[in-house]
Amino acid sequence: MDIEILQGPIAIFVIIGIAPLFAGFINKQKAILTGRIGAPVLQPYYDLLRLFRKETINAKSSSFISQISPLINFIVIIVAAAMLPIGYWKPLISFNGDIILFAYTLGLARFFQILAAMDIGSSFEGMGASREATFALFAEPIFFFTLGSVAFISGLTSIYDIYHSIRLDNISYIVFIIICSISAFILAITECSRMPVDDPNTHLELTMIHEVMILDNSGFDLFLYLYSSYIKLFIYAILEISFFYPFSAKSYLLGIVIFIVGSIILSLTLAIVETITSRFKMKNIPQYLLFATAIGILNLLIYTFTK
Amino acid sequence: MMPLEVQNNQSFDLAAIPFEDRKNFRDAVLEELSNGNRMIGLYPIEKTHSEKLIALFAEPDSSMIHIIGGIFDEHNLQFESWANEFPQTNYYECELSENYGYLPLNHPWLRPVRKQNFILGDKPYHFYRMDGEEIHEVAVGPIHAGVIEPGHFRFQCHGELVYNLEINLGYQHRGIEKLLLNSNPLQRIILSESIAGDTVIGHSHAHCNAIENLSNTQVSFRAQVVRSIAEEIERIAMHLSGLGGVANDIGFALVSSSYGRLRTLAINSLALLCGSRFGRGLFIYGGVRFDYTDEIIEETIANLQIIKNDVAVINEYLFSSTGVLTRFENTGIISKESAQQIGMVGLAARSSGLENDARVQFPYGAYRYNPVSLITLSSGDVFARARLRALEIDESLKFINDQLENLPQGEIKTNVENIIAKKGVISITEGWRGEIIHTVFTDEKGNLALYKIKDPSFNNWYGLSLALRRTAISDFPLCNKSFDLSYAGHDL
Repeated sequence: MDIEILQGPIAIFVIIGIAPLFAGFINKQKAILTGRIGAPVLQPYYDLLRLFRKETINAKSSSFISQISPLINFIVIIVAAAMLPIGYWKPLISFNGDIILFAYTLGLARFFQILAAMDIGSSFEGMGASREATFALFAEPIFFFTLGSVAFISGLTSIYDIYHSIRLDNISYIVFIIICSISAFILAITECSRMPVDDPNTHLELTMIHEVMILDNSGFDLFLYLYSSYIKLFIYAILEISFFYPFSAKSYLLGIVIFIVGSIILSLTLAIVETITSRFKMKNIPQYLLFATAIGILNLLIYTFTK
Repeated sequence: MMPLEVQNNQSFDLAAIPFEDRKNFRDAVLEELSNGNRMIGLYPIEKTHSEKLIALFAEPDSSMIHIIGGIFDEHNLQFESWANEFPQTNYYECELSENYGYLPLNHPWLRPVRKQNFILGDKPYHFYRMDGEEIHEVAVGPIHAGVIEPGHFRFQCHGELVYNLEINLGYQHRGIEKLLLNSNPLQRIILSESIAGDTVIGHSHAHCNAIENLSNTQVSFRAQVVRSIAEEIERIAMHLSGLGGVANDIGFALVSSSYGRLRTLAINSLALLCGSRFGRGLFIYGGVRFDYTDEIIEETIANLQIIKNDVAVINEYLFSSTGVLTRFENTGIISKESAQQIGMVGLAARSSGLENDARVQFPYGAYRYNPVSLITLSSGDVFARARLRALEIDESLKFINDQLENLPQGEIKTNVENIIAKKGVISITEGWRGEIIHTVFTDEKGNLALYKIKDPSFNNWYGLSLALRRTAISDFPLCNKSFDLSYAGHDL
C-alpha cells in the first residue's frame, strides 16, 4: 500500500496525541528552572481524563451558543492542525490557498470562543472577550507578515509548499527567514496566551486574557477547550519549527528528527522565556504586537528591495 | 478640655478619663484632629453603657496617646460627623454606627463595615455605582478563583480603567473581641494568636503587653528581647512572602519561587525557637515559653546569613529588571496627602512618605532600648511598597543579629499578678503590616470589660480603594498584593 496516503491521517493523530505532552513538557521545564519538582510531564493528560469524565454544567443565563461553541472550537482547531506538515509528510488538507483557510479557521475558533464568553453575561468574561478581540486584531497582521511574506516571495499559497520552498542558498534570504521566525515566535506567544503577554498559570481573574473566557465552563466542555488550547499551542510550535526543515536533506527520517529536536528546543525556549520575564502591562501589549508586525513589514521590504 | 495623656502600655485609672457633654466632646475631637493627631479608636467604654464614648488619638511626636470621653443621651446617640473635614474618621464612625447604633449626622458615606445587610441610618445600603453608556461594573468575590480569604470587590470601570473600587468585608467575622472577654487567660493568648493568621507574633505581643501592664507584671529583659526577635523574624518572613507575591502576580516565576524558598528559612528559624513556624505558643503572660540556647542561636544566625546573601542577589535581579519596573512604577499611587488624610498606617503609609512606625514612635518592649531605623520612601506606588519591604528586611536582619549576639541574661518568665480593677491600657505594637492596637479596660472585679482590637488592615483597605482610582483593572491583583492586607484582621 502506498505510504503517502497514510501520511496525512498519521500526522494529524500525532499532533493531537502529542499536543498535551508538549504543554506538560514546558511546565516541567519551567518547574525545574524555578527550583521546584513540578507536576509530572503527563499531567495534562490526567487533567484531560479527569475533565472528560465530568458532567458539564452550563450557566442558566447561557444560550445554545455556549453549548455548541466548545465543540466547534475543538473541531475547527483540528481542521487547522490537519493543514500542517510534520517533516516531509504531506498534510491531510493541502491545496493552493490553504494558508488563508488556515488563518481564518483559527479566527473562527476564536470567534466562537468570544461569542460564548459574551453569551454567559458575566462581567469577567465580557472583559476577557474584549481583551482577546483587541489583541487578536493586532496579532493577525503578524501572521501575514511572517508566513505570508514567505508565501509572497515564493509565490506559493499552500502551507506545505511554502515551508518547503525555503532554500538556504542565499545569505539575505536566510536572514529574512530567521527574522520571520522571530516574528512567528512572538505570534505564537500571543496566540497561545503565554508569558509575557498572558500568564497561563495565573489564578487572578482580573488579569487573565484567555483563561477568563472559560471560567464558567466545566466538565466535558472545559475538556474540549483545554484540549484545543493544547493543540493550538502545538500548532504554533509547528509553525515555528517548520522554518528549520530546510536545514536537513529532504528525507522523511531527518524531517522527523528535526521535528522532535525542534519541539524540545522550542519548549525549552518557552520555559526559559516564561521563567525570566515578567508580564507586560496590559496597555503595552498592543505595542509589543505592533513591534512584531513592524519587524515583519520591514523585513519584507528590505528583502524585496535588496534582492 | 484637657485630654488624658498616656503612653503606650501605660495603665491608667478609668476614672481619670475626662467625660464631657456632646458639644464639648465634638469640639475636643475637632481640636485633636486639627492639631494633626491621628484617630486610633472611637468606641463606647462598655458594651452595656454605649452612651459613654471615648476617642483615642495618637500624637507621634511626643509618643503620647490622648483619650477624650463624651457622654451622650441614651436615646439620642447622634453626633455631627467629622469625616467631611477629616476623612480618617470616616471608617471609625461607620464602625461605631454599625456596632452601637450611633448616627453620625451629615456623614459623607455611611456604609457597613462588617455586617453586609445591616441598615445604617434609615435606608438599606446600596453599592456606589456609576452610570453611562460605556461604564461597566465588575463584581469579584467573596469566593475567589484562588485560595485566598473572602472579600467582595466592586469595580466601576470605563474600559480597562477603574474609576471606583468599593471593598466590602466582614465574611470572616468571628466575634474575637467578645470571645476574648469571655475566655480564661490560657484561651486568650491562643485567641489573640488567631486574630490574623499572618501576624501571630504582632497580635499576641500586643495582647500580652496589655494584660501584663494591667496586672503590673514586669517582663524580664531577656524575654522582651526574645519577643522582639520573634517579631522581626515574622516581619522578614512576611516581607519575603509579600515580595514573592508581587513577583508572582507579574508572572516572574524565578524571583517568586526564590523568595518562597527563603521565607521557609525564616519561618523555620521561628520553629527552631518555639516549634511552630508561625510562632504560635511562644507567648505567655509574663514572658515567653521557650528560650534561645546556643545551638538555636547558631542555627538562626546561619539561616539569617543565607537569607541576607540570597536576598541581596534576588533583590538586585528584581529591582533592576526593566519589565518589572514598568509594572511597578507609577502603578497604584497613594500620595502623601491622601495617605495622611485617610489615616493610613504601617508599611503602606511609610511607602507614601509618612513617618509611621510604632517601634520608633511608640516604643515598647525591647525597642525602647534597641531602636530600629524608621525607613520611608516617597513615591507611594507598588514599587515603593515592594522596595520598602526589601529595605526593612535588611534592617530587621541587622536588628536580630545584634540582639542574638548580645542576648541579655535572666529568666524568661515571671509570675503574673492579678489584673487590677478599673484600669485601662492601650497597647500598640508594630506588626509587619503596621500598627496594631489592643485597648483593654477592666471592671470593678478585675474582669475584662472592654477589648478593642485595631488591625492595620482596618485603616489601609480604604487606601487600596484609592490606589486603584485611574489604574487599569488588570493591575488590581498587583496593587492588592503590594498592600497585602488581612481580611481576618479587619473582620475580627
